[in-house]
Amino acid sequence: MAFSGALTLSDLNDFISPSQACIKPVEVAKTSETQGAIKVDNSGSYYEVSQDGLETKLETATISLNDCLACSGCITSAESVLVTLQSQEELYNILQQNKVAIETNDRSTHRTVVVSISPQTRASFAAKYNLTPLQVARKLTWFFKNLGVHMVFDTSFSRDLALLETGREFVSRYRKAVAKGVIKTPNLDGSAPESTTAAGDMELDTPQEVAPKPRKRIVRRGAASDEPAAAVETESAMPMLASACPGWICYAEKTHGYMLPYISETKSPQQIMGSLVKNHFGSLHGLTPNQIYHVCVMPCYDKKLEASRSDFYSDLYQTRDVDCVITSTEVEKMFGEQGLTDMSAFGERDMDLGYNSVIKDPSTGQDQVLVGAAGNASGGFLEYVMQYAARELFGIDGVDVDQALGVEVKTVRNADFKEVTLELPGQPGAEPLLKFAAAYGFRNIQNLVRKVKTGKSPYHFVEVMACPSGCINGGGQLKQDTSIPLKDWIIQVDEQYRNGVMARKPEDNPALAQLYREWLGGVDTPKAKEQLRTGYHAVEQNLVNPLAVKW
Amino acid sequence: MPRLEQLAVLQGHEDRVWCASWHPTKPILATCSGDKTVRIWQATNASDPTQWQCINVLEGGHKRTIRSVAWSPDGRQLATGSFDATTGIWERDEDESGDYECVATLEGHENETKSIAWSKSGALLATCSRDKSVWIWEVEEDNDFECLSVLQEHTQDVKMVAWHPNEELLASASYDDTIKIWRDDDDDWYCADTLQGHESTVWAIDFDPSGNHLVSASADQTLKIWRRYAPGNATGIMTPRRGEAVWKCVATVKDQHERCIYSVSWSKVHGMIASSGADNIIRLFSVQEVDESAAVEGKLTPEQIKATNEPGVQLQAIKVTEVPSAHGTSDINSVAWYPNEDHADWLASGGDDGSVRIWRVVRD
Repeated sequence: MAFSGALTLSDLNDFISPSQACIKPVEVAKTSETQGAIKVDNSGSYYEVSQDGLETKLETATISLNDCLACSGCITSAESVLVTLQSQEELYNILQQNKVAIETNDRSTHRTVVVSISPQTRASFAAKYNLTPLQVARKLTWFFKNLGVHMVFDTSFSRDLALLETGREFVSRYRKAVAKGVIKTPNLDGSAPESTTAAGDMELDTPQEVAPKPRKRIVRRGAASDEPAAAVETESAMPMLASACPGWICYAEKTHGYMLPYISETKSPQQIMGSLVKNHFGSLHGLTPNQIYHVCVMPCYDKKLEASRSDFYSDLYQTRDVDCVITSTEVEKMFGEQGLTDMSAFGERDMDLGYNSVIKDPSTGQDQVLVGAAGNASGGFLEYVMQYAARELFGIDGVDVDQALGVEVKTVRNADFKEVTLELPGQPGAEPLLKFAAAYGFRNIQNLVRKVKTGKSPYHFVEVMACPSGCINGGGQLKQDTSIPLKDWIIQVDEQYRNGVMARKPEDNPALAQLYREWLGGVDTPKAKEQLRTGYHAVEQNLVNPLAVKW
Repeated sequence: MPRLEQLAVLQGHEDRVWCASWHPTKPILATCSGDKTVRIWQATNASDPTQWQCINVLEGGHKRTIRSVAWSPDGRQLATGSFDATTGIWERDEDESGDYECVATLEGHENETKSIAWSKSGALLATCSRDKSVWIWEVEEDNDFECLSVLQEHTQDVKMVAWHPNEELLASASYDDTIKIWRDDDDDWYCADTLQGHESTVWAIDFDPSGNHLVSASADQTLKIWRRYAPGNATGIMTPRRGEAVWKCVATVKDQHERCIYSVSWSKVHGMIASSGADNIIRLFSVQEVDESAAVEGKLTPEQIKATNEPGVQLQAIKVTEVPSAHGTSDINSVAWYPNEDHADWLASGGDDGSVRIWRVVRD
């Protein structure tokens, strides 16, 4: 089992064919009852020739993205199947349709086109074209608006909401897990564990009582055996696993159903942007969801799979929260298709205010500057949740994972697995209050899955990403000049991710309080749940083709 | 000329036998089968190698065929690779029943696990699968395993993995007709070389005692022997990647096997190669350097070597003996030389007839 991320390192093409194990039956509506011959013409089209000689052109069988999501036979990013459904061609079609609508004065087919750009995409272009992320954002705004796009937004805005919600969800889970006895609280006074404190204020040099055994904080469930933990409830499942990576989600749904309760229910920044654009932006502008066409520009092909999940589809309006995802690579391809090759020669336009992470430069009060949550280039989930939980659960302020302030940051085993532990200040070596991890890439996901399954995970929260090095190295990112080693290139893109971006805590985003108040009716309301949270569904493992040869 | 004499026929498996594996130090053989079991066999009487009994049956660990079985180098554990996509780790309860129990299951392959192999130190375990991937696991305490790498460069079913006899270097053979060599750098494993030359599936591979040669068995009905050329080698073979050796084919054994070759074993003691396959014949070969003066087809002059960057034929595999219909009319899926001096002339084989056979090289 694999996903696209693991392939991007070596496979520049990054297009994966449907698996040989694809078992999805292709359904084509049968048009005639009688049997006839099949004819193929010069163009490769198929015709059914009935007995009376009548020729009917046959429909081409297509497999949609959703078919792939429903099947476990294929690897997650079967791009060759998927490009037809979400590509720049689709965006061109919509823009063309808009032109026709305006020319014919038929507003009914006109759709407001919104493009939301990820900060990883900005970093990718900035590194490749030697620009700043701000310049890239302004140039992409210029590019898309020239094409006829109405609004250009930035998913670091919706990521602020995703971070806040993830933090809240974690704290709530932690408290419930403690209440249910799934985990135990560490000693906040730094004294010896409960079992020995019962003996009173014993002296530390009492010979027979030295070195009390460290307590297992995580209760082992189903240790010793490989049986999955029984009846794990999402509301209190520990560790909580980040949900922003669609490759990981898809993999977990297809092969590790028992991991699903552990996954955070907070939607990814892309899908929260989808809620914002289709629901909030739409209502502000008097548009129904289907009157808006929402495109996200992402570092990752698997984001297309995420956008096409049925959870994010409105039956009422027959539209998705994100209609189309195009990758950084595909945007670069669009430049060429528009006859624009030199990005530095692009014009610049101010980004639209609203769902953007741009403010007036506080020092000059004039030009735009980018702002965004601090943290790693995969969205900073670990950093934010650690900072938030340290404060909410233990009253510890000033934790900064990036600067290793108040926490210990350790690379374990390989560069893609990090542990971050929070200890009670002044009590080094004591049982940690919180233990988090970042597990990137397939091999580290395997070990995490194994640990959780056998009840040996010591973690409270894990930021899981399918790609080695995380989103900054996503499968949809621009390819470097072949002379630059991949490792060096990733470092360059990672530096660009922060270049000129002012760090701002999500809770300091002034628009969010207003959104919670006016749009969602408060925190933890049913509407907030509907717009910001989601769920996961295990895909039934289809039995392997019984005809499969036993070689 | 030496010949191969049958010592015993071991009956018990209820389906075809896929793989036979000798214990690293004792005269004990483990075999696995389509009947989803592993059987452990031992000579009844140490002095009489014609009488064997089945001392253990490992059952219930796998839902489908067990395709391969391998002892850990210390002989304490057995690993089993199954078509149910999992790898089992078995340990003998030395204190009480003496039975083997499955102490860990490694999951991760998407479908059929085809082969497993322990590194020389026992610290690493490699597995491969029809899902085209090769996995490397690190053996930890308490029967825990940590996945070190998932290698996905083969484009088809991976049939077999084999570790170098002394180094942490892995070879894998695939339905994509290639063999790949894997090594690790600071952070991850990578493909150090891809050996191309076979015209069909490579079913089996084995290293020679030094680890500087690798023999491969293919559905193209040939065996090939590959030699490692380190940077700065005397032959003048170029090594394009800095510090990285290359492997070059130095011998091809053709017109011997008449059908697919499924198994090959290179004795770590006397250096003889045994091979078997769909033509129901077990063949033994001895390997020697091509004589300087001999006119051998495919031998290249130093100028030609320089021009082609190929060593040409450097070794010759001479057939020592063969046993036709060694398992009757059945395919022979596995041959395995006894691993040390104690009984270096013993060879085990397993076939589609469900039997396991023990052979001995006899020099008349």
